[in-house]
Amino acid sequence: MQHGQVGAHPRVGVVKFASCDGCQLTILNLEDELLSVVEHFDIIDFPEATSARSAGPYDVLFVEGSVSEPAHLERIVELRKRCRTLVTIGACATAGGIQALRNWGDHDAFRASVYAHPEYIHTLAKSTPIADHVQVDAELRGCPIDPGQLVELLTALVTGRRPQLIDEAVCMECKRRGVVCVMVGKGIPCLGQVTQTGCGAICPRFGRGCYGCFGPREQANAAGLARYFEAVGDRTTEDVGRLFAGFTAYSEPFRSMVSDLGGTRWARGEGAVEAAPAGGGDARN
Amino acid sequence: MVTTAPARSGRPTADGPGFLGRDDLGVLLDLLRDDGRTLIGPTVDDGTIVYDEITSVEDLPHGVTDEQSPGRYRLENRDGERLFGYVVGPTSWKRWTFPPAVELNRGTRDGHRVTFEATTVKPPKLAFLGARACELAALAVQDRVLMGGEFVDPDYILRRANVLVVAVQCMTSASTCFCTSMGTGPEVTGGFDLSLSELDGGFLVTAGSTAGRELLERLPVRAATAAEKYGAAAVVAGVRAQIGDPVTVDGLHDRLMAQLDHPRWAQVAERCITCGNCTLACPTCFCTGITQVTDLTGENAAMERRWDSCFSPGFARVAGGSFRSRPRDRYRQWLTHKFGTWWDQFGTTGCTGCGRCITWCPVGIDVREELNAIAPAISLAPEVVLVEPVAATPNDFVTARVIATKQETPDTVTLTLTGTDPAFARGGTGQFAMVALPGFPPLPISISRFHADGIELTIRGAGPATRAMAALQIDDQVGLRGPLGNNWPLDRAVGRDLVIVTGGIGLAPLRPVIDTIIANRRRYGDVKLFYGARTPADLHYRAELERWGTRDGLDVSLTVDRAGPEWTGPVGVVTQLFDQAVWDASNMIAFVCGPERMMQATASTLAGRGVPASRTYVTLERHMECGIGLCGHCQMGKYFVCRDGPVFSIAQLGEIFGREGI
Repeated sequence: MQHGQVGAHPRVGVVKFASCDGCQLTILNLEDELLSVVEHFDIIDFPEATSARSAGPYDVLFVEGSVSEPAHLERIVELRKRCRTLVTIGACATAGGIQALRNWGDHDAFRASVYAHPEYIHTLAKSTPIADHVQVDAELRGCPIDPGQLVELLTALVTGRRPQLIDEAVCMECKRRGVVCVMVGKGIPCLGQVTQTGCGAICPRFGRGCYGCFGPREQANAAGLARYFEAVGDRTTEDVGRLFAGFTAYSEPFRSMVSDLGGTRWARGEGAVEAAPAGGGDARN
Repeated sequence: MVTTAPARSGRPTADGPGFLGRDDLGVLLDLLRDDGRTLIGPTVDDGTIVYDEITSVEDLPHGVTDEQSPGRYRLENRDGERLFGYVVGPTSWKRWTFPPAVELNRGTRDGHRVTFEATTVKPPKLAFLGARACELAALAVQDRVLMGGEFVDPDYILRRANVLVVAVQCMTSASTCFCTSMGTGPEVTGGFDLSLSELDGGFLVTAGSTAGRELLERLPVRAATAAEKYGAAAVVAGVRAQIGDPVTVDGLHDRLMAQLDHPRWAQVAERCITCGNCTLACPTCFCTGITQVTDLTGENAAMERRWDSCFSPGFARVAGGSFRSRPRDRYRQWLTHKFGTWWDQFGTTGCTGCGRCITWCPVGIDVREELNAIAPAISLAPEVVLVEPVAATPNDFVTARVIATKQETPDTVTLTLTGTDPAFARGGTGQFAMVALPGFPPLPISISRFHADGIELTIRGAGPATRAMAALQIDDQVGLRGPLGNNWPLDRAVGRDLVIVTGGIGLAPLRPVIDTIIANRRRYGDVKLFYGARTPADLHYRAELERWGTRDGLDVSLTVDRAGPEWTGPVGVVTQLFDQAVWDASNMIAFVCGPERMMQATASTLAGRGVPASRTYVTLERHMECGIGLCGHCQMGKYFVCRDGPVFSIAQLGEIFGREGI
């Protein structure tokens, strides 16, 4: 790749917005590749790993987390100016994250119900992905990101080729690995068909339905899947809407499913927040 | 240690059927294992009967059956100790003969040097236990596709040769079965080494090959009684009656291909999630994609071939977008290929009626329903085939060396390569090469000139891989496979006037045509070249264009979209140039190369000027993934562009040319 001065390694930063740091930990968990990564990149800013700080400029900036506070609005624009390539990592940065479920609710009421002194909490009414604010050059999906995809992206950056972040359904990975379809075989609702692969089908491999943490794939027919869920399962329209209300709920077309079908009782303060849609439950009778 | 058959009265004839007692089935498994084979057979895993490695009779499903319907599969206990009282599950045998991921080769890039080494496999000796009639048919279909023609998959050939097949007659059917309609079952009639029919107390065993006869000879069997033979036949006859004939297959190819505009395609696309499960569950689907597996430096790269699906949006993506951008296009592609164009390509059905695509469609789309809705009984006119494929399929990348580079336009370079595979010396106009740098995906590039000991490639640096190739310097190396594809039909141009229409880098695959014409100028009549480019700076081969027009006796007309102050020629699209040209179309042949839209416009203008579709040829650029003729990415109707093309006549393409989403 072309960067900074000839012969120098790309200067890499890792920064976070509203997030749990789990994606940063995925970088640190690249145990076999970590030495090679350090050989090929100068990591100049990475709060989870080093106390060294830099204000850039960066050849590559990995951004974790969603834009969730007023201060984030300026900070992301500023960071964008200081990096050549901006890569968002994880469901928060690419989709708004689980915290974007508040986007369907009353932000002030939430704040007041959780914090004793809500006046100290400076948050935006909506949690939004980085790409809503600045141009993003590449994204690694997932909650957390997949180490294999991370290595692929780093390799592509070193080689100067396009990363092979293949846009296909999670189903393809299930079938290649010989994982029996949990929807057909067990009646468990699964979003794998409309979700971008990259996780290695980890949930179906453990007998669970995919809950879409890698977000919708290109041209995802979420409406078609929702109609099927409603037709064959013993569940209400609102139940179906809530199947889409996970870590990437704020990405279209999942967002429309949540908005159109409902399933946002929690956001209206009606009843307790129930378990995530993955796992048991028969899609059919 | 296994003993051979003990002396029992009434040995069967060499092919059987013999009767093998239930308790002696283990002897068969032992014999297969003693032959050095790993056993693959049905076993219950997580509530489903899958095929997997088994070691003993205990691993087989005992007393269970499967209940299947569109989008639903459940196991149920049934009375008795039957071991094969179910039909097919989600696994198909192609998992072992055509695995989900296969490494093709490894490439390394060390500075300017590149090397490639084909990956060799030593496939394990396997025995498939329990293949059903529809599955034997599926193996035969893949045999035909992957090793039955000029284009073969060496990996498949090696794996397939190491498989011994023990078939089983079906005793029951699922609601999703339709082998009866497809003519593949339920009776096991051939394509096996041994076949078993399960009865109370044991199995009828029939041999279907030399290896099977040898096994049968060593099994503790007695001759089957007439009652046992009748009983076995009655069971499978009952299965046939149970299934009925859900799909009318007579004339299905023509009926389906006549319905490319049926509104049902859009309706089914509302339900279809385009997840691709049907294609990967299908025992005959063979499409693959190539992935680079590299270390962090990218200098050591393995090319891995993986199962791919025509339902994934990236499958048909080329520069400028996907040629099957809508889900309805992708469903139509799949259905028309399975039941239509598969016949044209391979002389066999693509569907064996196993029903996997119905059961394992997560939203329960039933292919039988779609066929019955889309393909009513009407007939279709016969089609024309004019160009015979002449492609060759060398298997491995050969390293070639750059001996000259020439900047054609600001982003386009012509590389002269030497040290190429000797096959290139026999190459012809219109052919292309798969070009690879380790770490980057291999790309099909038209050969823009043939030399005695090398070729030229003209490459526009549009993406990372092409930019890396266009940046190669003298003495750098690159991997080549080829030459691939068919030729421009220059033999049909002998004695005729020839019109060549192209734009930009589209001149590259036509340059060898011009070279050939100039070398044999008196064989051809008037030769007109109409060539357009975005700007004067984007005209390729400037010096040659000049020479072709002055010294070499070609009529060269140039146009640009945007002129600069130095340009005194025409401005506008290339078809405007020949609007005014005077020609006698009765003796004319046309070669056209450009984006598909430009070629459509040109073809229709040429038709308006009297050049018939049978003498108007185009070269198609599709998503050529492997250039081996078997990955499926570049399919257009009944053609694979990399093997049947890339050069086609408009008559040959017929109504699929220019149709959206084909």
